[in-house]
Amino acid sequence: MNTGIIKAYILKEITELFRSKFIIMVYLLPTMIILLFGYGIRLEVTHSRTVILDYDKSKLSKDLISKFEHSKYFDTKVSNTTEDNILNEIKKGKVDVFIIIPENFEKRILKGQKTEIGVFVDSSLPMRGTIMQGYVEGEILNAAQDYIKNIPIRNLITINNRNLFNQSMRDENAIVPGLIGIILFVAPAILSALLIVKEKETGTIFNFYSSPVGKFDFLISKLSVPFFLHSINIFILFLWATYLFQVPFRGNFFIYWITSEIYILISLSIGLFISIITRTQIVALIATVIVTILPGFLYSGIIMPISSMTGSAYIEAHLFPVMYFNHIIYDSFLIGQGFSSEKNVIYFGILIFYAFALLTLGTLFMKKEMR
Amino acid sequence: MPDLEVKKVTVRYKEKIAIKDASFEANSGEIVGFIGADGSGKSSLMHAIAGVKKFEGEILFKGHIYHNPKEAERIKQHIGLMPQGIGLVLYPLLTVKEHLDFFTAIRNLKKDDEYLQYRERLLKMVGLFEFQNRQAGHLSGGMQQKLSLICTLIHKPKLLILDEPTTGVDPVSRRELWQIIDEIRKKDNIIALISTGYMQEAERMDKILLFENGQIIAKGTAEELKELVKNYVYLETECKEECFSFAKRTYSLKPLNVPHADPELEAVFFINALKKYKNIPEINVEEREIKIEIPEVVMEAIGLTKRFNNFIANDHIDMVLKRGEILGLLGANGAGKTTFIKMLLGLHPIDEGQLILLGKKIESYKDRLELKSKIGYVSQKFALYKDMTIRENLIYFANMHQIPMSKALKKIDKLADGLGFKEYMDYLPTELPLGINQRFSVAVAILHEPVILFLDEPTSGVDAIARAQLWKLLHQLKQKWGISILITTHYMSEAEYCDRVVVLKQGKKIIDDTPQNLYQKFPDAKNFEDIFIKFHEEKN
Ligand SMILES: Nc1ncnc2c1ncn2[C@@H]1O[C@H](COP(=O)(O)OP(=O)(O)OP(=O)(O)O)[C@@H](O)[C@H]1O
Ligand SMILES: [Mg+2]
Repeated sequence: MNTGIIKAYILKEITELFRSKFIIMVYLLPTMIILLFGYGIRLEVTHSRTVILDYDKSKLSKDLISKFEHSKYFDTKVSNTTEDNILNEIKKGKVDVFIIIPENFEKRILKGQKTEIGVFVDSSLPMRGTIMQGYVEGEILNAAQDYIKNIPIRNLITINNRNLFNQSMRDENAIVPGLIGIILFVAPAILSALLIVKEKETGTIFNFYSSPVGKFDFLISKLSVPFFLHSINIFILFLWATYLFQVPFRGNFFIYWITSEIYILISLSIGLFISIITRTQIVALIATVIVTILPGFLYSGIIMPISSMTGSAYIEAHLFPVMYFNHIIYDSFLIGQGFSSEKNVIYFGILIFYAFALLTLGTLFMKKEMR
Repeated sequence: MPDLEVKKVTVRYKEKIAIKDASFEANSGEIVGFIGADGSGKSSLMHAIAGVKKFEGEILFKGHIYHNPKEAERIKQHIGLMPQGIGLVLYPLLTVKEHLDFFTAIRNLKKDDEYLQYRERLLKMVGLFEFQNRQAGHLSGGMQQKLSLICTLIHKPKLLILDEPTTGVDPVSRRELWQIIDEIRKKDNIIALISTGYMQEAERMDKILLFENGQIIAKGTAEELKELVKNYVYLETECKEECFSFAKRTYSLKPLNVPHADPELEAVFFINALKKYKNIPEINVEEREIKIEIPEVVMEAIGLTKRFNNFIANDHIDMVLKRGEILGLLGANGAGKTTFIKMLLGLHPIDEGQLILLGKKIESYKDRLELKSKIGYVSQKFALYKDMTIRENLIYFANMHQIPMSKALKKIDKLADGLGFKEYMDYLPTELPLGINQRFSVAVAILHEPVILFLDEPTSGVDAIARAQLWKLLHQLKQKWGISILITTHYMSEAEYCDRVVVLKQGKKIIDDTPQNLYQKFPDAKNFEDIFIKFHEEKN
C-alpha cells in the first residue's frame, strides 16, 4: 500500500467532485429520495393469507367470516386447530393474519357488553403489517355494525391487536427504514461506478495502466471516496428518519451504523463490477440503477414480504444482500433486539461475508490493462 | 544485446488483428519513429510495449522479459506512455500545477532541488509556466498536448513511448520539444519510441519503422526508406493509372516519361497506398443540388474581442472572408484561433466588436438560427456520438439537417468513398484511430452543403494520404460550390494551399497576406515553417 499514491488520487477525486459540483448530487439525491418516497408511497395490500378461529359459531361470527371471504384483501380460511399451531404458521411466514373470535361474541354484543377480538398480524414487514391491520379492523367493525344497527359498536368491540414485532405502526415507520436500505444500496454503487468509468471513457485510465500504481492502491483510493462521502449519508438519513418522520429508534445506534457501513461496502463492490464491464458513464449509470434499484425495492419488504415469497423469488430474495440489511435496520428502528437476536447476528455475518466476497471478486476481475 | 527487443508481438482486439508479428530492436539513446497510415497498428504496438494491452510474443527491456501486462508491471516505473488523443490523459477540472503534483505523487518522486528545477524547466519549455493555475479544460488543444507531454516526462522515463505527441502542437513548440527529447536521450540515455504524422520529424529519428495494415513492412533510416521509393517519384504530370499527384509531384507505379523528383518521406506513404489499392480514389464533388446566390464577402469581423476574466484571448481582431476563398488561420498554441472560431459560431459570446455573416449583422441568437444551415463546422476536439457507429452518426446528422433519407444515404456513400473511410462505417468512433475519426467529422460538416466552412485543425493527426485527399476535397468544394473556408492548421506546408493566411499571436493579428507575398518578403525562407518561426522569434 502506497499512501502517497492513495492520497494523491483521493485529493484528485475530491477536487473534481467539488469543481464539477457533483458533490451536490451525492448529498441531494439520498435526501430527495427519502423525502419523496417517505411522503409519497402508500401501498395497497391484497390477498393476505388469513386464518380465522371461530369459538362463537353464531350468526354474527358467520357473517363476519363471509365478509372476509368476499374481500379481495383477504384469502380467508376457517380453521379448527389450536391457536399455537396457527401462531407457529405465522412465524414460519405461511399465514399473515390470524383472527380469533371469542365464545359468546354475539351474545355479549347483543347484551351491550364489551367483548374482545384477537388479531395477530405478521409485521415482519412493518409496512404491510400496518396496512393489513387497518383492513382487518375496518372489516370487523363494519360487519358488526351492519348486524346491530342501533348500538355504537365501536365501544363494544375491542380489537386486541398484536403485531408480532411492532406495536405502534405508522406508514412512516414502515417505509422509511426500508428507504434507507434502498438508498444506501443504490447511491454508493452509482458513485463508485462513475468514478472508475469516467476515467475509462475520457482516457485518463491510461495514467493508471501505464504507471506503477498498484491495482489495490487504485481501488482503495477510488472506493474510499464514495465510502467516506456516503458514510455521512448514514447520519443524514438517520436524522431525517427520526426527526422529520418521527420514526422511533429503539435499537443500538452502533449496530445501525456499522451495518450501514458494511452495506455501503457491498454497494461499492457492485459499482466496481459495473465499472469493469461498462465503458461509458451513461451506460454505467443506467446499469447500476437497474441492478440496484430493482432488487433494492423488491426485497426491501416494502412491496412484498419475503416470507410470503415462494419458489425462485424466495431464493432470489435470499441471494441479494438487501433483505439481510433491511432486517437489521427494521430491528434497529422498531424493535431493538439488536445482537441479542440470533437472526440479526447471522444476517450481520452474512453481510460481512458479502462485502468481503464481492470486493475480493471485483478486485480479482479488474484488470490493469486495456480491453 | 540490445536494450529493447520486441519479438514477434501480435495484438488482437476481439477478432481483429491490430498488429501481427512485429519485431524490432533498439538501443539506449536511440529514437525509433513509428510511421504509417491511420489504423496501421502503431498505437497497438506501443500499448503492448508499454504493458497496457495484452499481446502475444515477447518483449525484453534491459534484462526484463515480459509477455503480458502483469509481467510488465516491474518495469512500469521506467516507462512513460503518452497515448494518442488531445488532452486524453488530462483531468479537465484540475489545474496545470495540480496535474504535475498528481503525476509526481503517483510516480513516487521526491521533491528535491533537482526535481524542482527540472519541473520548472519543463513548464517553461512548453510555455505553461505562467498558466499553472489554469484548469486543463481551459487550455487550448496544443497546450493540453504539451501538458500531457510534460506529465509523461516528469519521472524521467527510461523508455519513452509517445503516440503522436506533436499532433496539434505548433512549429515553434515542436522544435523545442524535439530539443528536449534529444537532450534527455543523450543525457539520460533513454529509448524513445515516437509515432508522428510529420515527416520532417520522422527524418530526424535514428530508425524508422513503417507500418502498413498491421505489419511492419520496412525498417531503416529515412534515407534508406526514401531510397526504396525513389524510382516511383516524378515531377508533377498528367497520368491515368496507378498514380497519384499531389503537391508538385506525381507518384506512379508505372514508369512515366518525365524526370524523377527528389522523394520526401511522404512518398513512402503514397507509393504504399498505390501498391495496396492500385488507384487512390479520386475525390469528386458534384455540383450543388440547389444553386444559391453568395455575397462577395461572406464573413466580416470588426474588432472582435474575447476575454476570460482578465485574460484577453482575442484582442480586437479584424478579418474578412470572401466568397470562394480558403483562409488559413495560423498561430502558436493558445494564440486564440479556436476562441475566434467559436466566437464566429456563437459558442462563445462576443465581448466586443461586430460580426457580419453573409451580409447579416449578428446581434442575437435568432440571427444565427437562420444561418445555421449555411455553416459547417469541425471542432478541434472530436464531436461524434461515441455510442453510435459511424454510419449511424452520419445518418443522424443528415436527419438533423433534414436531408431526405435516400439522398442522405447516397451522399454518405460518396463521401465515404472519397475520404477513404468506407470500410470503417460500422465501427464505433472509439474503436478507430484519431485520423480516421477526423475524416468523419469533415464529412458531417459538409453533408448539408454549407456556404461557409469553419475547420479547426481538421488535418491534425491525419495521415499523409488522407491529408492530401482532404485538401483536394477542399479545393473542389471551393471550385464547384464556391464555398468559403476558414481553416486552422499546424502543418505549415498546408499554409501554401491557402489563398491567404492570417497569423494570430497572443490574441492579436500580426499577419494577413497571401503566401506568395510572404515568400517574397522572406526570400531566404526554405518553407513556410521558416517564415512562421521568424515571426515568432522576432518579437519574443
Ligand atoms: N474557458 C476558458 N477560460 C480561460 N481561458 C481560456 C478558456 N478558453 C480558452 N482560454 C485561453 O485562451 C487562449 C486561446 O485559446 P485557443 O483555444 O483559442 O487557442 P488556439 O489558438 O486554438 O490554440 P491551439 O493551436 O493550441 O488549438 C489560451 O490561452 C487558453 O488557455
Ligand atoms: Mg485550437
